[in-house]
Amino acid sequence: MKAVICGNGKSLYFLGRAFLARGYVVTLVTPDEKYAAQLARLLNATVVAGDASAPAIIEDAGAIEADVVIAATPHDHDNLAICQIASARFGVPQVLALVNDPDNEKIFGDLGTPAVSATRIMIDMVERRAAFGEISALLPLGEGRLTLAEVELGPAAPVIEKRVMDIDLPPDALLVSVLRGKTNIIPHGQTVLQRGDRVIVITSPESHGPALRTLTGEA
Amino acid sequence: MRKAAFLRKRYQYILSGVCKLLCLFGGLMLLPLAGCLLWPYAAGDFRAFALPAAVTIGFGALGWLARRGPREELTMADGGVVVFLAWLGASVAGAMPFLLASTRLSFSHAVFETVSGLSTTGLSLVDVTTASHAILFWRSFLQIIGGAGLAIVMMATLVGPSSPAVTAAEGRGDQLVPHVRQSARRVVALCAGYVFLGVVGYMALGLTAFDAITHAFTAVATGGFSTYPDSIGHWDSAAVEGVTIVLMLLGNLNFVTVWVLLTGNVRAFARNGEIRFLVFILAGSALALFVATTHGIYPTLGRAVRAAVFESVSALTGTGFTSISAYAGWNPFGLLVLTLLMVIGGGACSTSGALKQFRVYVLLKTVYWEIRRALLPQRAVMSRAVWEGDRKNEITPSRLHAIAGYSFLYLATWFLGSLILTVHGYPIGDSLFEYASAQGGVGCSLGITSPQAPLTLIWTETVGMFLGRLEFFVVFVSVVKLFRDLPRMAGFRGRMLDG
Amino acid sequence: MRFESQYIVIVGCGRLGAYLANRLSEAGNSVVVIDVSPDAFRNLSVGFSGFHIEGDGTELGVLAQAKASQADLLLATTRRDNVNLMVAQLAKSVLGVPRVIARVFDPQREESYRGLGVDTICSTVVAGQAFWARLSEAPEP
Repeated sequence: MKAVICGNGKSLYFLGRAFLARGYVVTLVTPDEKYAAQLARLLNATVVAGDASAPAIIEDAGAIEADVVIAATPHDHDNLAICQIASARFGVPQVLALVNDPDNEKIFGDLGTPAVSATRIMIDMVERRAAFGEISALLPLGEGRLTLAEVELGPAAPVIEKRVMDIDLPPDALLVSVLRGKTNIIPHGQTVLQRGDRVIVITSPESHGPALRTLTGEA
Repeated sequence: MRKAAFLRKRYQYILSGVCKLLCLFGGLMLLPLAGCLLWPYAAGDFRAFALPAAVTIGFGALGWLARRGPREELTMADGGVVVFLAWLGASVAGAMPFLLASTRLSFSHAVFETVSGLSTTGLSLVDVTTASHAILFWRSFLQIIGGAGLAIVMMATLVGPSSPAVTAAEGRGDQLVPHVRQSARRVVALCAGYVFLGVVGYMALGLTAFDAITHAFTAVATGGFSTYPDSIGHWDSAAVEGVTIVLMLLGNLNFVTVWVLLTGNVRAFARNGEIRFLVFILAGSALALFVATTHGIYPTLGRAVRAAVFESVSALTGTGFTSISAYAGWNPFGLLVLTLLMVIGGGACSTSGALKQFRVYVLLKTVYWEIRRALLPQRAVMSRAVWEGDRKNEITPSRLHAIAGYSFLYLATWFLGSLILTVHGYPIGDSLFEYASAQGGVGCSLGITSPQAPLTLIWTETVGMFLGRLEFFVVFVSVVKLFRDLPRMAGFRGRMLDG
Repeated sequence: MRFESQYIVIVGCGRLGAYLANRLSEAGNSVVVIDVSPDAFRNLSVGFSGFHIEGDGTELGVLAQAKASQADLLLATTRRDNVNLMVAQLAKSVLGVPRVIARVFDPQREESYRGLGVDTICSTVVAGQAFWARLSEAPEP
């Protein structure tokens, strides 16, 4: 699998390294020539120095044979251009733009470019984690439309000794798994929850708060 | 030599603009004649208006049509010259009816009355009991024209010159919409709307059509000319005073602020610094006047409250209507409060004059910011912003300089003008009051301004009214510019004032 | 399209943006100009009687301040191609402005975006064509 990753700064190095570790053939594109030389020394990837949003440069970087192009420059508009050109002109099947403005996640999506916002992820984590102490491993999915959360049932949890079918979860929340000790239980209606269970639940943004409140009992 | 040719071309364009304005102004002079179909016609009225109208239109048309060449781009200073000359011309042309009609004013008095009209001051030398309807209409009409803005009114028609430099010089630089002519149209529409409300209100309370129209004109223009010697006090009615107060407040509001409210942005309106300051200062002064002054003078509680509120609004908005007779019995505290209100004045970019609430508000805020700055961490960066129109604007140092400089100039000339009045023998307090009224375009009078007053005093006030309306700098800069440019155009190469 | 009392938003007040803004405003249109730098507005002539807003035209909030959704025409004339292209797409697809034109310097980018339905004018190509036409003229005797 071939990946072309465009950006600048430390994040480009780590993105490159991560994709290389997963077995991709990686080409990095950065406008900074000095940094390009450094990356070439550090990583086993092809490094191209230039403006990735210029068709000539991204062509040079091998866009025509790339499977995925990731645009991670500091500017949303540059990332949009890189992805759109890669997709429209070179037919790259999968593109992803990093955006700073959380609103651009949806806007870029509507324009045909999937996007992910670090700002939004951080806010989500801070806001949701701050409210509930026993919740860990929060994962946003589906461009933020779903959240996967792991909740540990403490002694005060109201759902202990209750059957799953008797728990009043919101309609768009789903209990998908229960981790008990070393066992992984796929729950059904009759499953009884116990203290110490780690419950995996999928929720929408609206049902997230109510679902977790139902499980943990925290106001 | 190149400069002389360049200047000649530029001034040709400037003069044609001025002439266009004067031509249209002359046309407006025919309106009182048309009104003669509706109200009693006095002997000599026709001649008093038709003659000046013909002369002004003729003179204006000559200058307008004589222009050759393409449109020139007017700089800010050029715009100031257009406004300065047009207002000068209108002050003289508009005085002619007063000269020729049955009122038979002297030239000085006629010019005074016209300037008082155009600058929406409202100090009057006309005997309203003997003046003809046409003359009374013309006085009030001058105020609504000057209040909206001579150039603004003209620009709203298709033929007026369409330059932002000109509107800025008339104190209507802040636009309502992103084009100068569209904005001018909306200002005229707002004024017309206010006047219409006023006429309806007054007539509902029983005033004749003539009284309703003339008083609606001058209330909205925050001018204050009345067709009765005792002004609004003539009706001695809380309802009439109420309608008048509403009209005065409307006229005093910044046109942009009103437009922001009308387009639905209530939040921006509520946060507007000028609005908050207006509410605060009116409430404060009405209360102070009630407690310390009117409470002790008038027989009933109602009368005392009415007087306190009405006079505060009249002084602050720069209208100059009175609901009581010549401040009889008012103590020095009351007169000083009114003087302060007259100096503070109305909203920026409105029909009101004087220092303007916006400037006073910013200066007060500056004091607050200084205190706050001292208490913040040393390396902290502070924002000095106020809500204007539909957004928050930073008050940059250069803007603050301009505000502070103008405020100083205003106060200094106020002092100077009052000084001149004292030279004529009037007491300190009265002089400060009367001159503040003239320069601030208010129109409240303690009686100093009368047909018997010495001519030097009359001219001092005329100049004060003119300078106050054009906010000094338009006049100063235009005078210096003309002084420099005229010799150059004639071909003299002067080394003095070169630049 | 008649030029008179249209509501026009121009993003980018450099030489091109200011030139268009001045001409359009003097012709009688309501013009709002957006630029990140307040110094850019010095390029506007005295005859310009529109509004100017300091801000980033790629942000919907700034475009909303300029009431871009009510505009008849939006021109993207900043110095950066990518900014112009993003602004143009926001205006067209998100705000529904009837007519949107973006200035682009890179001819290759212009080509790439033709398929995406963005109306562009390439400064380089236009200048190049003008030069070419001038060079093809018979030289002055």
